[in-house]
Amino acid sequence: MTDLVVNGRPLRFAMDPAAPLLWALRDAANLTGTKYGCGVGDCGACTVLVDGAALRSCLVSLADAEGREVVTIEGLSHDRSHPVQQALAAQGAIQCGFCTPGIALAAAALLARNPDPSPAEIGTAIPNLCRCGVYPRLIAAVQQAARVGRRAERVEGVPPPGIEPADAVRAVPALSQPRH
Amino acid sequence: MQLTRRRLIGGAAAGGGLLVAWQLLERDHLPPLAPTAAEAQFGAWLKIDRQGVVTVAVPQLEMGQGITTLLAQIAAQELGADWRQVAVEPAPVSAAFANLPLAARWTPLRAPLVPELADAPGDALLRRWARTHTFTATAEGTSLAAYEGPCREAAAAARAMLCMAAAAQWDVRWEECEVGDGFVTHEDRRAGFGALAEDAARLDAPDPPPLRTEPPTDPTLAGEPSAFPRLDAPAKVDGSWLFAGDVRLPGMVHAAIRHGPLDRAELGTFDRAAAAQVSGLVGVVAGKRWLAAVATDWWSAEQALTVMAPHFRSYDPVQSARMTEALDAALARGEAQRVASAGAEEGPAGRPTLTQRYDIAPAAHGSVETASCTARLAGGRLELWLATQAPEQARIAVARALDVPLRHTVLYPMPAGGSFDRRLEHEHAIEAALIAREVGRPVQLTWSRWQEQLRLRPRPPAAITIAAHLAADGSLAGFAARIATPPAALEFGERLLGNRTSWSAREAVADRADPLACEGLLPPYRAAHASVDHVPVTLPLPAGRLRGNAHGITCFAVESFTDELARAAGREPLSFRIALLGDDPRLALCLQRVGRFASWDGGAPGSRQGLACHRMQLGPASGRIALVATVEPGAGPVRVTRLAASVEIGRVINRDIALQQIEGGLLYGLGLALGSGLEYQDGVVRQARLRDLDLPRLADCPQIGIDLIESTGPPFDPGELPLAPVAPAIANALFAASGRRLRALPLLSAPA
Repeated sequence: MTDLVVNGRPLRFAMDPAAPLLWALRDAANLTGTKYGCGVGDCGACTVLVDGAALRSCLVSLADAEGREVVTIEGLSHDRSHPVQQALAAQGAIQCGFCTPGIALAAAALLARNPDPSPAEIGTAIPNLCRCGVYPRLIAAVQQAARVGRRAERVEGVPPPGIEPADAVRAVPALSQPRH
Repeated sequence: MQLTRRRLIGGAAAGGGLLVAWQLLERDHLPPLAPTAAEAQFGAWLKIDRQGVVTVAVPQLEMGQGITTLLAQIAAQELGADWRQVAVEPAPVSAAFANLPLAARWTPLRAPLVPELADAPGDALLRRWARTHTFTATAEGTSLAAYEGPCREAAAAARAMLCMAAAAQWDVRWEECEVGDGFVTHEDRRAGFGALAEDAARLDAPDPPPLRTEPPTDPTLAGEPSAFPRLDAPAKVDGSWLFAGDVRLPGMVHAAIRHGPLDRAELGTFDRAAAAQVSGLVGVVAGKRWLAAVATDWWSAEQALTVMAPHFRSYDPVQSARMTEALDAALARGEAQRVASAGAEEGPAGRPTLTQRYDIAPAAHGSVETASCTARLAGGRLELWLATQAPEQARIAVARALDVPLRHTVLYPMPAGGSFDRRLEHEHAIEAALIAREVGRPVQLTWSRWQEQLRLRPRPPAAITIAAHLAADGSLAGFAARIATPPAALEFGERLLGNRTSWSAREAVADRADPLACEGLLPPYRAAHASVDHVPVTLPLPAGRLRGNAHGITCFAVESFTDELARAAGREPLSFRIALLGDDPRLALCLQRVGRFASWDGGAPGSRQGLACHRMQLGPASGRIALVATVEPGAGPVRVTRLAASVEIGRVINRDIALQQIEGGLLYGLGLALGSGLEYQDGVVRQARLRDLDLPRLADCPQIGIDLIESTGPPFDPGELPLAPVAPAIANALFAASGRRLRALPLLSAPA
């Protein structure tokens, strides 16, 4: 049994403590936003925050995570409101989306410790592999997220999930209240 | 568009509302009744519910290219919808979604003996084949060519029916109603779609539907956010976008798998007892050619495989050294078949001005998602959650392997985490279903990275010589290319469409010339004589599809050679090319524009710039690109600092998505130029992990500049085009910078 805090909730994992945190998150906690791409730290698709640091969860054992606070993409914000999430969408820095969660968390960790990173610092902090090739937009997205984080800019990248039909009707004239 | 061969049917959607199906069937094959919700699977459709939500079917695999958004945008613009009322649904496989342009392009892959019978999209034989085979594959940039027309027609029909419903209420002529921003309007009256949908569903759609005069284009102003932002982005930023490996079912267990050396190994001994020590183990399944372990989590399943240490018996294992010998021998002495030519039948006699050879190693896709499939077999019904570019072929293959009737086999289309044509293969789906049957529970099979590297079917290796004669006036008197490479497209066709094993596919196509495997080798330049000869080579390595396919191989040879030829003639590479492009002024324009856009410095010795250009064709649509690469010469790895391209791809429907594809294509080309190469020893790939592929990272990313040329031509998919000129542009830049000519891909992979 291994106890840790995941996305703010205390969880106890009945799993081999030698198992990588990645598989505890994916297969025990069903937090499937954390992706498997290589298992050896090459791709970064499994990046999560452990006590605020962006770590590749395939290289961290469940035992090593004991007592720590883990944040996955599902916990970065409850409504896609984290500046990195908004900026990634606003800059079109998302294609297939497989590497996106890991990149978002690596960028969030960078901005938490450096509110105004240079392109070189962003390049070093995000070693994640993206094969669709969003790199040219990634620097711009992280810099935009940094400006938003510093309250120097506002961004509207993506709407929150779970919009109520009544709210949608208020916002979009073309939609009407469903008749019952 | 063949409106007469298609018919639109309006009907009631489930729960009230409008459903528009479009049928590719001939009139006499139409179902006699308008489709109900249950029958919607027989037609492609668009539906509008009573709230006004417009749902567009997406019959193509979303793998990052943005097709989900593009089709929805096409429907929304034709309909006159507000983008915020538009939803999408992945469509189930259906004959109504037959991809005719791709079926036409792949004619040689399925009917080698009667190639002349069915080679045009409008051809009746072709339609019959595509429909009876439910051929809806996503490949070769055919999505817009296949679906823009049908999507517009369905939306136009829906628009007309909504107008008719409104006109009846208002007692006006429906033709005088207009639709925009999600409303039908007539003078000062207006009504939302939701209020009209139910009435509209009782009306007959006009045939042909009244299309808007302007085809869909991007209204976004420069510097403004996209008017049609990607619909998949929101779910992709919070982890809720599900891939096949993210499906969770009640009672589901996780499987890991090991295969033997390439290509034809059989499972030998393994220590089954050792697996018992692994906690969470559910079972062990031994296939003829693989061993799988099943556990309550994937990592435990993988541990069980490690401790069982399976051995495999291999036959004729793949060896890179022997493949190189085979290509050498074929290039030097093999029997060639002419696959393309232009101009005079015979080339000029005498010694060519220049002859050079180029070598291309097998290349890996490097998709980050590994092969994954979730399978459930219960009550005689087989369900598959799978990302596949060819869903019906995958469904048939799995149904046959398990001897389950096709009508009891359901495939839920899942998106792919990159593919780059990797998901045109589906052996993992068969494995997942077999494992699910053996353990009697829903199973999710995920290949380890090591298995993905081992079992991917790479872009095949090739060896190419090009010889050219330059006339005294600088014109091209002769251009003769000879390529030794497997008939890879035909081989793939035998696997996908013939459902053959990889080795039986190779046997079936041995010694057959394959024009698709040599595509792009005939240069765009005007030559008195030009020819392409293919020496088909049979290798023990299965050849697969990979983004760009032959263009990524042939453009490297042609454009490296063109650079060498220009230098041999003492000419500046850009004007040398333009002078030869009398037959293709649009490509000449791309070159002129990129010269200005990239501040081309002439590429003389000491320059750090290199140039390459390419064109591709799909039916009436064509795409062109000219690219300048800038390198930072040095002792270490090659560093590319800038890629600047002028690109012409016809009418652009969604500018931001087009730019994403071009940027991504350039970077994918960078990965193929500097890495992605595979070497094999005793049937085992040496590049066991992603790091070994030397793929570009954010810190390596060159500055990218794209000059998208305005055009009104038919839309050409920009997904593959940009990658072709990257490798030769870099090779040419390296030559300019260092005087060292690299003629092997990946660059620096062979001693100079």
